[in-house]
Order: sequence, then structure tokens, then C-alpha cells
Amino acid sequence: LECTMDAFLCLTSAYFPKWRRGHQTYKRTLVLLDNLNIRDTHSIFFRSLADRGFDLSFKTADDPSLSLIKYGQFLYDHLIIFSPSVEDFGGNINVETITSFIDGGGNVLVAAGSDIGDPLRELGSECGIEFDEEKTAVIDHHHYDVSDPGEHTLIVADPENLLKAPTIVGNPSDKPILFKGVGMVADPDNPLVLDILTGSSTSYSYFPDRPISQYPHAVGKNTLLIAGLQARNNARVVFSGSLYFFSDAFFNSAVQKATPGSQRYAQTGNMELAEALSQWVFKEAGVLRVGAVTHHPVGESTPPAAYTITDLVEYSVVIEKLSKGSWVPFDGKDIQLEFVRIDPFVRTYLKKNGDKYSVQFKLPDVYGVFQFKVDYNRLGYTHLYSSTQVSVRPLQHTQYDRFIPSAFPYYASVFSMMGGLFVFSIVFLHMKEKEKSD
Amino acid sequence: MYVPTGLFSLVLLTVALGAQALTPSHHLSLSDVARLQALLSQPFTDLASAYYSIVGLSKLGASVADENDACHFLKAQLDPMSVDSLFFAAEASQAISDCEIPVSNETRDILLAAVSEDSTVTQIFRAVSALSSLGLPLASQEVVGALVARIAKEDNVLAITTALQTATRLSQQADFGGILEEIEDLAARLDDLGGVYLQFEEGLEATALFVTAAYTLSDHVDTEPPLKEDQVIQLVNSVFSKKSWQSLSEAFSVACAAAALSNNRFQVPVIVSAQGPATVSHNQPILQLLVTDVLSNPLASASVVVESAQAVVSKNVILTQAPFSLRDGIFELNFMTSQPASGYYQFSVAITGDTRLVASQVELKVKVSTEVAITNMDLSVVDKDQSIGTKTSRVDYPFKAKGSFTADSHQNFAMTFQLVDVNTGVELTPHQTFVRLHNHKTGQEVVFVAEPDSKNLYKFELDIAERKSEFDSMSGTYTLHLIVGDATLENPILWNVADIVLKFLDEEAPAAIQSKTLYMPKPDIQHLFREPEKKPPTVVSNAFTALVLSPFLLLLILWFKLGANISNFSLSPSAVLFHVGHACMLGLMYVYWTHLNMFQTLKYLAIIGSLTFLAGNRMLAQKAVKRIASK
Repeated sequence: LECTMDAFLCLTSAYFPKWRRGHQTYKRTLVLLDNLNIRDTHSIFFRSLADRGFDLSFKTADDPSLSLIKYGQFLYDHLIIFSPSVEDFGGNINVETITSFIDGGGNVLVAAGSDIGDPLRELGSECGIEFDEEKTAVIDHHHYDVSDPGEHTLIVADPENLLKAPTIVGNPSDKPILFKGVGMVADPDNPLVLDILTGSSTSYSYFPDRPISQYPHAVGKNTLLIAGLQARNNARVVFSGSLYFFSDAFFNSAVQKATPGSQRYAQTGNMELAEALSQWVFKEAGVLRVGAVTHHPVGESTPPAAYTITDLVEYSVVIEKLSKGSWVPFDGKDIQLEFVRIDPFVRTYLKKNGDKYSVQFKLPDVYGVFQFKVDYNRLGYTHLYSSTQVSVRPLQHTQYDRFIPSAFPYYASVFSMMGGLFVFSIVFLHMKEKEKSD
Repeated sequence: MYVPTGLFSLVLLTVALGAQALTPSHHLSLSDVARLQALLSQPFTDLASAYYSIVGLSKLGASVADENDACHFLKAQLDPMSVDSLFFAAEASQAISDCEIPVSNETRDILLAAVSEDSTVTQIFRAVSALSSLGLPLASQEVVGALVARIAKEDNVLAITTALQTATRLSQQADFGGILEEIEDLAARLDDLGGVYLQFEEGLEATALFVTAAYTLSDHVDTEPPLKEDQVIQLVNSVFSKKSWQSLSEAFSVACAAAALSNNRFQVPVIVSAQGPATVSHNQPILQLLVTDVLSNPLASASVVVESAQAVVSKNVILTQAPFSLRDGIFELNFMTSQPASGYYQFSVAITGDTRLVASQVELKVKVSTEVAITNMDLSVVDKDQSIGTKTSRVDYPFKAKGSFTADSHQNFAMTFQLVDVNTGVELTPHQTFVRLHNHKTGQEVVFVAEPDSKNLYKFELDIAERKSEFDSMSGTYTLHLIVGDATLENPILWNVADIVLKFLDEEAPAAIQSKTLYMPKPDIQHLFREPEKKPPTVVSNAFTALVLSPFLLLLILWFKLGANISNFSLSPSAVLFHVGHACMLGLMYVYWTHLNMFQTLKYLAIIGSLTFLAGNRMLAQKAVKRIASK
């Protein structure tokens, strides 16, 4: 952080993610399972995590020795809850500790199922996601897989229903996604919830074995199959309504809609999506940070103690993103700089200039204490925020116009007086009076 | 026809509603077996991998691609001084026809020496297996003694399992003593996971090897293994639940367990699954069942009987004691001859014909599906005040109504229709009968549930004024879709019935949804600089400038007329300096105005002023001297 200005003028604050200190050490992951067999049935997913350097500790969700926090320190950086049916977590884990884990910046991946228990439903509502009741399932009579066992709950989700955010869902592919589990709806008052994968218009969530007697919890595109959340502290949470979604069986399965004439795909898109989701939720992707921030008047190289109104100023900032474990320059086209005194006075796009983003602009003709503010909040990326405080003062008395055309009479009178004085003094001192000859 | 994939076995979980009787939920489907074979058919890297591949494949009933090559590889890699190497080569060569490993006396001595209490159980196992594979004589009772002594020292699951495997290679006449009881002891050590899985915490490999050893040894000594039926099923579940094997040895252990479970003299778990979905309909009246072992090999010797078939909802039993007929390895039953109504049926199926079968009582959920047709679809727009004189228009599936309907907030939009079974003509009430209104412009969709009345006539009425909040009061053209679907319907319907134009009275601007704008760039802001104040025209100021300067000119003119002169000026340094200094002071005033500040000005003024003062003083003094002298 560059802070070469007078200390009191530079009250720069920028979010410094904790993983800056060395992200390698931040991969401790607790995996809670309904039973340890899930480790075998979901081995591809866990192996991909382990291959990426995650340190996975597998525990059953009711293990009495469970603990997330010890002596005020988090024991893990990430939490995977693959135990949909858990009724009570073991040890000192409960919904409250999980929410405080999220509040403390921990990332959580939750997979539920039609046997969802109360704790997961509660955790969902804490995060703005409402799960449907136990024993309900997402049903889609128009888009179910040919191998559906009979209730049309083995759903083929079109990749078009994925959130359009490659940092979260990976590169676009045409492989359908297989899903079997419980539906969710997003709390409309929570703007942070992301609809990562929605059902199709014909899907709904209800008890498969009961006639519909009340309006279903989720209908049509409101039915969330996978939802995500990036909290204001950049902690990430992903809820999947289906634990099968991550299973080896779904990863390797062929997929084909039961509608006659549907295309058959040799493999589902589950593996790619699960991998992309895990990279996002565990902060391997979509992580940004602010590097050096510099600002100075155009033509100079150091910032002054205070800028003067209407100065032409150059601001530049280094923004980096995490890519495969190292920080590389970020390539964004819509990063904006604001020059703020309570309200923004100037908002302009920053242009990429080598490794830096910079812009030149004219300071407003208003003095006061301002901030250069970069507040970059984009889908799939961590919230990037940098503010640098500077003061802007009015013109000094020497900086005004010296000669205003309208005031020329005043200047002329002064100069004529000064000229008169000079001429008069010469004439007065050196005049030779004529002899009074007459 | 759809070939069951790995997914299928998982899906079985829901097909087999084995609440009361536990049935296997995982097995190796044909594609799993193919993948397992592919994994085991990798090129050999060393003797151990050759052993796993060759023996593993033989357990699956397959063989390596080129047996001669494999045999050469074994012989080339063999180290006749190493027990492990001998074990791998000898065991693998057994699985290949016409492949003999040469034995020397030295080799035999090394192997025999390994059979002692000082070797680990693994070493004993390998030495014993090698000896028996190579056809060398072996003192069984001594081996038992060594094993018992070692087990006492290495009391872990893997060691005991290995000891059990060793025992299978010994003479049947030997006194196995405590070793047989180890099966029961180990079974007691298995962890029960949710009543579905039974496994060792050491992992899949240990569990699979235990299953292999238990059955092979039981076969060997001809006593029934001390495993209960439920335990067998749970073991099957845990051994075959993993579908992606991490290592060759893991794949090998699964192959061995599969072979042991599908071919032993006491317990053969039976897998009953429907061929394709467990569905019958008028088009496809035959229910087809696959009855296989865990390797998906059909059990042709079995006979399958439906003990009862019960409708899930009404609990009516409509079929009892009906046998399935066997055709091409598939058991078939024409269920539609019982004329079932559409819905789910609970089948209790018994598999007989072999006393070894485990899980031979299976509960299946079978679906009878049918086709639906929409009839009597009437659309109308009804005035709320006078509900008379409305015109209804009939629409036929799958056509779209001609023209569009317009409804405002004083009107109701109404739709009535009936759903009937194409095959029987019976009225149906499917699970999903939704009415979807979709606004193309905004992408908004609103879904309503249509409900049947007591006569199964569906009536859907949309009160425009009352429902305005669900539409966000957005007037516009909405496409009306009818969605009909049910798990028992073969033809789900998504029908674009009509376009309707909704008009809401108090149209509000749609509230911007925050989440949509949260991640968007904000609009640019350009600062609006203050306009410079308007100045009077320069003509005025210039005129006044001239006016102000005119007195000075006047002064010069008058002086000229009066004859002003500077004839008294003497070019003395003091006079020049004084006037130059004076001019400089005046100039300094100008510079002060344009460039300098007060302190700089005072500094320069002090210098110039003092010089000017001294020069002026001197000049005046000279002038005074001159004047006095001239008088």
C-alpha cells in the first residue's frame, strides 16, 4: 500500500484478504458426512479437491468430537456439509456456530437431499435460501432423465438455466446436468443470493407421492436447484439441493431426456460444474485484490500535500486476481473510479495500462476532503474496495487571474499613477526653471 | 433399449422400497463391470500390477489380452529370491493357461523359510500361496500354528483377513482351530453405517478382502459363513457403492469380492432390477425384471413369482402368486392383463430356485402409466359486474386460440377443461396441472395451480384486479401455457393455449430489483463545473481605461506646452542610481502583483529601497551643494 503522502491526509483503507498471507495454508477443510460411505460414493469429487491441495478431514455429522472453533480460532477454513439428513450436529457444531463461521469468513458447501433435516433448513434460511420440506423433491415431468426410476425426480437441467457467470459455473458447455433432490427458493429480500442453477419452467417442488393440495413451495424458474451466496465479508456459501449431484454415479452417467428424440450425452456436465463450483466457493477462483494505489497531478510523479481544485490528476491502481494459486493481473473492462465527498462527484472507467488501471481526470471545482474510491462488485468476484483520502483546497490568492479585462481601468489608473510618479519625480528634481528674464 | 449405467444401481435405492426387508442398493452394473475390466486391463508396470490385473480379470471371468506376453512378462520380472515376487508371479501364472514358473530348490527353501512365526502374516500368506500355486508340498498344521501366533501379535483387520486368506490355501484336513472363529470376530468389528452399509474403518479394500476371504474359506472348509442375511446385504452395499476405484489393488479387491459373492456355496445376494424403468403401459404391457448376481450375470436358474401386487394409494391387491416367465435371461410378466388403473403398485417379488439366494424377497414399486388428453377446453373473459352474455371460445389441443384475449381489472379470465385417459376414457387428476403466464418482454412468469372440482372438471379463474401484485401490475401480452404432467403420464403436455393481454389500472413502474443492479457498473458521472460569471463587455472597460490614462497624457501635453524639461539632470552615478532604483521599486510593485508574495517583496524592497535611499540622499546633497554654489 502506497502511503507516501502526509500521514494524516492519507487515510487509505483497502480490504486485504487474509489469504494474502499465503493461501496455501488456508485449505483446511472439514467434511461432514451422513456416513463415511459417502466418501466412497463421492470419491471423484473429494479426490479432485485433494488433488488441488485441500486438506480434507472427514467426519460423520453426529461425531461428538466435532468442533469448528477452538480458543476463538477457526480450526478449518472451509466446511463441506454432505449430510442432508442430519438432525443434530455432533460436538459443538450447530447452525449458530456455522453462521458465525461464515461471519468469520469461512466458506461452506452444503448438499441437501429429499431427506433434508431441520439444521440444514435453518442454515439455509440464515443465508436467504428456503428449502422445501422434508420428503419433497423437485419434479419435472417434461425434463426427466430416461433412467428415472419412476417419479420424474431425476431431472435433466439445461445448461441454459445456469447463472451466466463463468467464474462460478465454469466455461459454458452444452452438457446437461443431472439433479435429484430438494428444491429451494431465494428470499426475495436478500439481494446477495445467486441463482446458480434453476429448474425449467415446467419444474416444481412438491411431495412426489401426494396430490397437490396447496401451492408448491417452488414453481417454474423460481425453483432453485443450486444457489449461492457471497456474503458482504466475501465468505462464500453454495447450497445444492442434491447430494447425488456430486456423486461418482452422476459424474459418470450418461444423460438423455425421456422426451422422444432427445439427444443423448455420454457424460453429464456435473463433474465440470461441481469442480467450478468448488473452485469458486473455496476461493480458488474469482478472488481479487488491490495492489499499489498511486495518484499525482499530471506531469508530476508524487502527490502533493493537497490538491487544488480543477487540477488534472492521474490515478492508477494495480488489481490482481488469484489464478491457480498465484496472483496475476486482472483483466476487467468495467472498473470504475469514484471521486467522493459524501456523494461521488466524478465516476469514470479505469483503463488498463500495462499491469495497472489508470485514468486522468480534472478535479471538481469544489474543495473539501475527498476519496479516490474503487468499489468493484461483480458477479462471481470478491468485493474489491479501495479508498484513498486526499484533500482538495481552493485556489491560493496568487493563483487567481491577475488581469481581468473588465478591471483594466483599475490597473491602468495604478500604472498611470506609478508612471506619473516616476516621470514627475524626474521632472521635479531636474527641471531647470527659465531665467525670469522678462 | 436403455442399458443400465452406473447411475442405475443408485437409482435402485428408490425402486426397491425395502423399508421392511433390506435389499442391496448397490451392485456392479454391466457398465461398472466394463469400467472395472478396463481399469484392470492397463499395461503392467511391475509384477504386483501384473498380478492385480491378471488375477482381477480372471475373477471377473475375463482374461488379459495377450496371455503369452503376460507370461513372458512374469518370467522376465521374476526375482527367484524374493517371496513377494514369487507370490505375484506364481499366482498370476495360475490364472493364465500354459504358463509355468520354473522352480528351483533354492526357491522352495526361501518360501518354506518364510513360513514361520518370525514372518509377518502377509509374508506367510504370500509364501503359502506361492507354494500352493507352484504345486509344492506344504505342512498345513505348521502354517496354522504360525498364523495363530502371528495373529496374536498383529491384531488388526488386514492381518486377520490375510490369515483367513492363507487358510484357504491349506489342506482341508488341517485343524484350523481358532482361525475360523476369526470370521465371526471380524464381522463383529464391522461398522454399521445407518443400517445400510457395513464396512471396516480401514476402508473399502479391507472390507472387500474380508468378504473374499470369508466366502473362500467357508467354501474351502464347507461350513456356512457366520454372516446374517442383513449383514451380507450391507456388505454388498458398502463394497459396491464406490464406482470409481483409485488404485489397481482396490479394483482387484472389489473384483475378488464380486467373484466371491456371486459364486460361493452358501450365500449369493440377488439383485432384482427392472429392465429400463419399472413402468408398464398399454403400449408396453410387459414388466421386465433382471435377476442377477452382484456382477450383473443373470441367474437363469431362478424362478420369479409375484406374491402380491398392491395399489399404493387404494391398497387394493390386484394380483397374487403370478409367476414371471423367463425369456432371453429376462423375467417377464404381462401386468396389463390385470387391468390396473394408472398409478403405483407395490410388488412383493420372491425369487426361488436356489437355496443360496440372499435378499430373495424384494419389494418393487411398479408404475402403470397412461396417456392423457385434454378435452372441452373453453376460454372466456367474464365481466365481474354482469356475468351474463360472455362468449366462450373452444380451443382444441394442440392448436393455439385464434386472436388474443383482452382482460382488464374489471374482468375475470376463465378457463375450463377436462383431462381424460386416452386408453380408458376415465377422467384423470394429474399431479401437475399448472397454468403459466409468461411475459415475453420482461421474461416474467407467473404460475397458477388449476384445481379440479368434484366432477373432475378443471376450472381456472384469474381475477385480474386481485392478482395484480403477482404480475407486478405489468400490463402487456402474456402467453398462456397449460402444463399437465404426472409421473404416470407418458405424454406430459406443455400447450400454448392462447395469448392474453392483461390491463392493470394503476400501472406502477416496476421496482428495480436490487440484485440485478448490484453487480452492474454504475452510470458515469461528469462533474459539472461552475460557469464563469458573466462579465461586462470589454468595450466599456477599454473606454474607461483610455479615460483613466488620459490625465497622464494631459499632464505630458501641458508640461510640454509649459516647457517642462530636465536640463538640470547631471549624469552623476547617484542620480542614475536613484532613478533606476525608483523605477525598480515601482517595477517591484508590479512583480508583487503578478508573482511574488509579501515576504519576498519586502526582502527585495529592503535591498532596492536602501540603495535608492542612499543614492537619493547623495543626489539631493549634490543638488543642494550646486544650488548654494550657484547663488
